[in-house]
Formats: sequence, C-alpha cells, structure tokens
Amino acid sequence: MRLRLSYDDRSAAILVLPVLAVLLVVAAYPILYSFWVSLHDIVLTRPLRRPFVWFENYERMLGDARFHTAVLRTTLYTVVTVTVTTVLAVGVALFLNESFRGNRLLNTLLLLPWATPSIVNGLMWKWIYDPTYGLMNALLVKLGLIDSYRAWLGDPDLTLLLISNAAIWKQMPLAALLLLVTMKAIPDDLYRAAKVDGATVFQRFVHVTLPALRPGLMLVLVYETMISIRHFDLFLIMTQGGPGDASYTLSWLIYVETFRSLRFGTGAALSYLLAMLTFLLSWLFIRFLGERNS
Amino acid sequence: MMQQAVSRRTALQGLVASALGGAGAAQAQAAGGVNFIGWSAAVDQVKAHITAFERDTGVRVNYENFPWAQFRTALVTRLVGNAPIDVSWISDAWLPEFAEAGWLADIDDIASLKRYNAEAANYCTQSMTYKGKQYGLSYYGDHMSFMVNTEVMAKAGLTAPPTTWEEVTEQCLKIKAAGIMEYPLLLSLGADTWLIEFVSALTFSFGGSFVDDKGESIMGAANGGAVAAARWLHDAIHKHRILAPGAVETVELNGLRAFGSGAHAFTIEPTYRIRALNDAAQATAHGKIRPAMMPKGGPRGTHDTCGWIRFYGITPAAKADRARRERAVKFIEYFGGRDTKGEYSFQKLLLLDMGLPSCALPIAQDAGVRQFWDRWAGGGAVVAEQALKARKKDVVSPWFGEWVETSNQAWQSVCLNRATPEAALGALGNKWNELKRAFR
Repeated sequence: MRLRLSYDDRSAAILVLPVLAVLLVVAAYPILYSFWVSLHDIVLTRPLRRPFVWFENYERMLGDARFHTAVLRTTLYTVVTVTVTTVLAVGVALFLNESFRGNRLLNTLLLLPWATPSIVNGLMWKWIYDPTYGLMNALLVKLGLIDSYRAWLGDPDLTLLLISNAAIWKQMPLAALLLLVTMKAIPDDLYRAAKVDGATVFQRFVHVTLPALRPGLMLVLVYETMISIRHFDLFLIMTQGGPGDASYTLSWLIYVETFRSLRFGTGAALSYLLAMLTFLLSWLFIRFLGERNS
Repeated sequence: MMQQAVSRRTALQGLVASALGGAGAAQAQAAGGVNFIGWSAAVDQVKAHITAFERDTGVRVNYENFPWAQFRTALVTRLVGNAPIDVSWISDAWLPEFAEAGWLADIDDIASLKRYNAEAANYCTQSMTYKGKQYGLSYYGDHMSFMVNTEVMAKAGLTAPPTTWEEVTEQCLKIKAAGIMEYPLLLSLGADTWLIEFVSALTFSFGGSFVDDKGESIMGAANGGAVAAARWLHDAIHKHRILAPGAVETVELNGLRAFGSGAHAFTIEPTYRIRALNDAAQATAHGKIRPAMMPKGGPRGTHDTCGWIRFYGITPAAKADRARRERAVKFIEYFGGRDTKGEYSFQKLLLLDMGLPSCALPIAQDAGVRQFWDRWAGGGAVVAEQALKARKKDVVSPWFGEWVETSNQAWQSVCLNRATPEAALGALGNKWNELKRAFR
C-alpha cells in the first residue's frame, strides 16, 4: 500500500527535513556516540587501548565513594537552592502583583541578576566572600557580628550554602517573573468571591492563589531543579569542588573525571547517570504536580 | 589539465582548512616552520625571542599559548587529534604519561641537544628522563623556597630565620604574642596545581617520601615523613593557630599577593617569585623578603625541598620527518640551549625579566645574573644551596594526573580537621596502589 501525501504534507516534510538533519548531526549523534563512549574504558592518556567494557563504567562509578559524596552534595545543594528560590520567588511575585508606583521599574531591575553572566556572578560572589577584602566580612565586622575576617568559602560547613546563595541570587528573578505571569492570569472574580465568603488574606492565598499557581510552580520547579542539579560554573569559579570535598557535586565529578583525569568513558557514564536522574526528577514533578493541576 | 586539477584540489584543501579553523590554519601556517605550543607565561619574552629566532635562522614559528590551568587538557586533546605540533612546553609531572602515550619523542639520538647535559644541573636532566631516555631540553628548573619577611622578624626581635619547623612554630607564636599579626605563617593550600609541590616540599623536609624506591606507597606510614608533615600542618592551623584555616582557600597566586602585602612573616613559594615579592611595583613588602633554607622537620628532618622542571619536548611526528625535525631541533636549541651567537640568551632573559631560574650552570657565572640575585634576593648563596637540595616529586608517574586530584582532597581534609593525617594519607596510599595496579 502506497502512502499518499498531500502537497501540503510533502511541502512540510521538505521544509522540516533540513532542521531534522541538523538535529540528527548536532544532537542525536553526539548523544548516541557519548553512550557508546560510556561503554568503553577510554582514558585519553592511554590512546592505544580503548576496550569495550559493557556497563563496567556505570558499575564502577556507582560503587565509587566520590559518587556517593557527589550525590549527597548535589541533593543538598538542589534542595536548598530550589526551595529557597521558589519560596522567595512566590513572595516577590506576590509583591510585584500589587499595584504601586514604580512597579514597572522594579520589574525591570529585578531582571538584572538574571541577566548577569554566570561567570560574572560567580566572580562577584567570590569577591564578596573573600577572606581579605570581601564585602561580607567588612559588613559583618562593622555590624559587630564577627570579630575578624573569615574565610567563608574555606569553611566546609558553609561552602555549599554560600554557593547556593549565589545561585539563588541569579535564579530567583526569572522564577519570580514566571510566577508573576501565572499570577496575573488568575481572574479577579475568584478573589472577590473568596472575599464575599469571608476568606482572610492567608486563606485567599492558600485556596485561590496557590492552586492557580500550580502550572507556574511546576514550570519553576522543573526548570530550577534541572538547572541546580547540573550546576557547574559557580563551583568551578568559587571552590573547584573544595575545600576538601565540601562542594564535590555530580557535575564537578564529571568535570574532574573527564577533563582532569581524562577518563572519557567514566565521564560519559556519569553524564548519563546525571541525565537519567534529571529526567526522573522532572518526570516526577510533571506527573504529580501536573495531575493535581488537571 | 593536470596542473588545473592540482590547483583545484589545493584550493579545496585551502577552503577545508579555513573551515576547520585553528588546526587547519596552524598546519597551513607552519608549512616550512615550527609549530610551538606553550602556556601563557613569559608571552612577551617568547614572542620577542621568536622574532630573533626567525631573523637568525630563517625558520618561521607558529606560536600558540593556553592558560596553565587548562594547558594539559588542551595539549592532550590536540595530541589525540594529531594536531600538527612540533615542539611543546612540558611539565616534568606529565612526562611519564606523555611518554607512555607515545606523544613525546626522546632526544637520545640528537647529539646537538644532548650535549647540553654537560652544562646542566644533574637534577634537571634526571627530571627530563623517563625509563632511561631523555625527552627534552629545559625551559626552566625551579624549587620551593622558604621565604621570610625580615621586617616582621625584626619587629618581633627575631634575628635569624627558623631552621626547623618547630622553630617556625615558636617564632610564629612570638610574633603573635607581640600582637604583630594573627597568622604569621602563610601557606597556599588551595587545590590548584601547586599544592602537590608545597606538600612534597614539606614532606621532604620531614625526611619523608610518598613512595619508596620501587614506587610502592609509603605515604600512609604512621612514622613516615608525609604523615608527620600533615600532622604539623594540622597543628599549625588547629592547635597553634599560626596558619589561617582559610589557607585551604588560598591558591598560590593569592598567597603570593598576600605575602607581598606584608601581612605574614613566613611562607613557601616557588623561588622565581622572589623577584615579584621584592619589586616595588608589585609588592608592598618589597625589599624585605629573603629566601632561607627550608626548615627541617622532626628527628629525621632535612633541608630538602621539592624541585620541578619545565622543558621543551618534541613530538614523534616532528622527529620522524627529517625537515620538521631539523627545524624543531634548531628551535629547541635556540630556546633551551645556546643561540646562534653561542649564548644562553633566552635562559638569561627569563631569569632577569621573570626570575625563572635556569638549569644551565654556566649562566650562574654571568655578571648580570649575579647582580640579579644580589638585587632581588640579597645574594644568590641561599638559592644556590637550596637548589642543590631540590628533589624531584617522587609521585611523578603515568597515573599522576589522576592521583593528584585525590591527593589535593586528602591534604585539605587534614587541614580542615575532617580526617586524621594517618587516615587521609592511608586512603591516598590506597588510591596510589589502585591506580598503579590498574595501569599494568
């Protein structure tokens, strides 16, 4: 049986083909090839051997103590960053949803941290935390909260939280704007009806705003989780995975394994593990938040 | 007709080369020249000397440089991709893995380069040798130096630099007690490429080693020098509080700046930094910084320190091609040996401009070089004596690049009080054994 295509279908197929071809070359092929690489024991400094090892790289990494540390650090970093970003973003969106003078200007200013390049953001916060000339030390000493300058990023108990703070500063504005857009779409009738029913401000927030925000929240949660779980630039600039292993996250481990140890096989395997973890989390968010929403 | 076909092909090759960018361009540019890759150090001096080389020999040079931090990865990816490299700067730490990978060619059969061994410090030649073969000619050779701020010492009534690490503690405590500064000792223990040199210098000064003569790990031995050095570091931070806990955040360059600001009394720095530290344009404490012998640690302590070398290596592809080899050898000799006038002009330039010590023994007699040490280090005697006690890192191996990541973490975890010296260095020794086994 011959497939009969209309003129429009054929035209559409012809127009889409070049893009598909490009996608195959720049996306599908690298993805499949990196999976193939992950099944080999490729160490760049040993170019004469690259044995096929099936899933040994995955097995090795899953049993590696560094992987366990990295998962722990990544989880902590992601939970803190996503939670604080989302909560702050809801607050800021609620504030910006009110009508007041200068609202538009504030909306524009809010975007500044988000528009700052990640490298600049990392350097800025590194300087703020600097133990010799950092603004944070100067401020805290002036306020009498500490006696002398401290090496904040050198404290393994604080490192991850301080990096998280730098990430939140950059990520929160976009999250707030995404939520604000959703908030603006909530019909005023709902609030008026709630008021007629005698609902307090808090009750209106819980029973009207929050349910209506779910699509926006889902978007923010998925986006922020995917960004946080794979975050790399701040770790590279601010701590290089240190001190010790205090900021040794999954993306940092992938970098070390691939570009420092030059183990492309295990590096690719780790990348796949991280990708699977990201997909799983995104799916969970969409499944549960999406269902409730429907 | 044939002529036309060839020119079409050539034109097409040109187009492909342009489209491929860097590598193609490098190949095209280097036809009849030398492709040289280095890290972004002494760039102006290198460029100036390349101009002189091109003028004196008629050989063109295509020079590329990358930041030091990314250099190894950049070089490896180019070597794996068969980029047309003739000569490259190489760190002694990479020699075994590069030689094993077949990315470096030995120079044993190149008499015009080998003859420089007669005029080079033995330690330098050894550092360029792997499995009995020599792989290059030196770019520079240096060692870790213990440096003191004489002004701070004088303020505290200290007349002589400490000769043992115990004395370092005592003098630091005295400086602290006098209220001169909170942390008299500065060590850059941030996890950058210098950390292994710092901890090797400390370990050697405690009479220790990381591995024995057979390359077996002894770094975790409870009575070994590495554990003793780590314990001393731990106590300096947590017991005596003479070294800031933030040292783990301080990378070498920041340490240099901090010491140059006069905020500390003692430090360990690469010797070549003495010039910057005593330069009024670069350091507040200029004129006050002097090198001293590395303090001895514990009952088996020595004044030994860690030395290293960077050298010019030639690739097998360049060596295999007669014309390329001839040009590359000329280049290496001009830069790492004597120029066409018979002088170590580049070695001397590097020392006078940058403070980079040379492996070539004859230049120590040069009046300009002697003046240099007098001006920037208060004389060259201590530097020369310390140079004689410089030891190659004993952990240089084909698996060094991978092991050193774990090493940095292990030393930092001791400094952070997250692991005992025995546990951290024991685990580090296990990692060494694991990588060594895996390499076979």
